[in-house]
Amino acid sequence: MRTFYATFYSHFGAIRFKRLCDGLGIPASLMPVPRSLSSSCGTCVRFEAESFEEAAASRSEEMEQIAEPSGEGFVTLFRAEHA
Amino acid sequence: MNNEKTTIIAAGAVIGVIASVLVLLGNPVNMGFCIACFIRDTAGALGLHRAAPVQYIRPEIIGIILGSFCMALLNKEFASKGGSAPMTRFVLGFFVMVGCLMFLGCPFRMIVRLAGGDLNAVLGLVGFFGGVLTGVFFLNKGYSLKRTYRMAAWDGYVLPAVQVIFLILLVAAPAFIFFTEPGGGPAAKHAFWLVSLAAGAVVGALAQRTRLCMAGGLRDIVLFKDYKLILGFVAVFGAALVTNVILGLATGTPYVTFGFAGQPVAHVDGVWNLLGMYLVGFAAILLGGCPLRQLVLSGEGNADSQVTYLGLLVGAAFCHNFGLASSGEGPTANGKIGVVIGICVCLAIACLNTFKKGDK
Repeated sequence: MRTFYATFYSHFGAIRFKRLCDGLGIPASLMPVPRSLSSSCGTCVRFEAESFEEAAASRSEEMEQIAEPSGEGFVTLFRAEHA
Repeated sequence: MNNEKTTIIAAGAVIGVIASVLVLLGNPVNMGFCIACFIRDTAGALGLHRAAPVQYIRPEIIGIILGSFCMALLNKEFASKGGSAPMTRFVLGFFVMVGCLMFLGCPFRMIVRLAGGDLNAVLGLVGFFGGVLTGVFFLNKGYSLKRTYRMAAWDGYVLPAVQVIFLILLVAAPAFIFFTEPGGGPAAKHAFWLVSLAAGAVVGALAQRTRLCMAGGLRDIVLFKDYKLILGFVAVFGAALVTNVILGLATGTPYVTFGFAGQPVAHVDGVWNLLGMYLVGFAAILLGGCPLRQLVLSGEGNADSQVTYLGLLVGAAFCHNFGLASSGEGPTANGKIGVVIGICVCLAIACLNTFKKGDK
């Protein structure tokens, strides 16, 4: 199981995604965006899955990016268009 | 994570010391830093309002934006972004200023006032927290000003460039820029411009690295029981208080005087101190950050925050042109009407951007 972080353009986008993960049985929690992931200070969802595509398949227009922890920082796996 | 916490506490402590030392070096008492007051002074210097006591291009504001700008460039975090309801943000910025000039200070100065013993700021803090709670209610119900988009590359450079022009105007002091006469009011009190500029740049750079934000700090406590961001402001308060005590002992002039009456650039009308900061807290959550945070985001290239800065600037001019700004004698009738209208406008913006048909 891998851990991913999804960031959003709005707090409610994160809430909606968390609900979606709950519905899919994906362990997920809401938290502030880690500083090493972004200079923005919104809400992100940390979730655990075999692959990020599983959750990203249902991504909304509110989703900004999905990243995976790597060493001290993060590797971005998905980024919204024109972000 | 612990490293993040340590960094933000250390940054807050440095900022608190800077805020107090600026008073020693010439800034008004309990006003080492105030984003709202300093933007208001800048608006006056540009002739956008003609309130003679509050006209000076404050280098601290220039420094914060340019400090954040340089730090963001250095860390490759600068990006021209925008397009998230800019006019709504302008209006919210306008009313943030109306609330700030009712209370006589932004959230940053609220903490600085507390560290100077001004107990009127306690009521401001209660109001601010109430405004944050109201904003969080709407966040949880679906409030959003929609996403930002990558803009034309130069768009994010506009406000930092304007700040450089302001700096040139400050130093060159041409006749068409207004400066409060010595002894003529709060804007006549200021540290040497280079010191103020450097102080602002340090604060801007530190706030960019740590995302320091009073509204965000309280929001994170309510939403996640996460205390990281607010610890920065607790550190600002602690460091400013300790520095004030030390400065008082060293100079023989009290820098901390606990009480309500007779506080510098403050009034004792508790209800309107509370309501003014309620408006600021509410609008700041709808904007996604307090005035300091808006300046920092402006430096990172966020055009929406740059529009918010314009809202603050125009709001400040409006408040002084139409008698909305409070003084040491208390709030004005126009100011009270402005705050009530501001709260109503925030409620309307919150509802219109939360309860949208087919958007859930």
